[in-house]
Amino acid sequence: MTADSNSMRTEAITQDEMSLVRRVVRRVPNGTRAAALVGVAVALAAVSNALNPLGIRWTAAPDGRVGIPRAFESRLPEIDVTKAFTLYRSGDALFVDSRDQKDYDEDHIPGAINIPMRRWDEVWPAMQFRLPKSRLLVLYCYGARCGLSTRQGKRLLELGYEHLAVLDYGWKAWREAGYPTLKHPEEGL
Amino acid sequence: MCAIRRATARAIALRVIGIALGATFVYASLDKIARPDRFADIVNDYQMLPALFVNAFALLMPWVEMVTGAALVLGVWRRAAGLLAAALTVAFMVAIAQARLRGLDIECGCFDVSSTSSTKASWSLFARDAVLLAASVLVWRRA
Repeated sequence: MTADSNSMRTEAITQDEMSLVRRVVRRVPNGTRAAALVGVAVALAAVSNALNPLGIRWTAAPDGRVGIPRAFESRLPEIDVTKAFTLYRSGDALFVDSRDQKDYDEDHIPGAINIPMRRWDEVWPAMQFRLPKSRLLVLYCYGARCGLSTRQGKRLLELGYEHLAVLDYGWKAWREAGYPTLKHPEEGL
Repeated sequence: MCAIRRATARAIALRVIGIALGATFVYASLDKIARPDRFADIVNDYQMLPALFVNAFALLMPWVEMVTGAALVLGVWRRAAGLLAAALTVAFMVAIAQARLRGLDIECGCFDVSSTSSTKASWSLFARDAVLLAASVLVWRRA
């Protein structure tokens, strides 16, 4: 057998294999191909998330929170209302109300400053000078399932604020515990 | 001759629709891929998924958008990509509709997940998605 016939044979096999692949691919219905595209997306998502410094867990964090970059989890702790009240009484923390302005105006934790998270882009340029990086900031919003404070915490971490805590169950927990508010200053004292 | 011209014009039109649709999907995926944490917040706002699945959805869905869009732009497996685009768009429409019906005042998370002054989930976005759905079905069934 000559070298030429060998190469022709190899070429024929390659062509056969290619046409087989083509035939198989052509027979794959759209659904299977769509599933294959989803498979590619899963692989790319896994790689991208592993490489992204702002990558997140695939499931909720152990405390149930979602959307927290892995790098931020320990730097954005949640505190319960009793701990928050201790900080309030000692004056060791500045309270930040992430709720909408109308709700803040209605009532809030005395001394808290309002940075409505839903209007962050508009309000932050003016508010940044009122928020010291050296003090512990306790962020609170409405209550269960409200992630506004956590979102605000993420923004603040990116801006170099390191002393942060989020009040678990926020304003709802504070009110239910009967702690003082601007309109009810003597409660809980 | 006329039939050939018609077929060519139809093929070109479908190709252009596919490219435009694909480019839209690719563009829509970029900010979400860069900021999965912020997209997860928006997914959470829609209140459709249990907390356990929110992160996984926020990580995966933008890459499905990206792969679908890239396939449509490159003209690879266009019908399968059209099918995926249609499925995604139906999911977006369901999400927007349920948010509006429940009175949720939330950001759309359609293209931009980093700004807090971006578009809200609204009926006009639902209508825009209906146009995307029509284009997706066209590519899926006719390409």
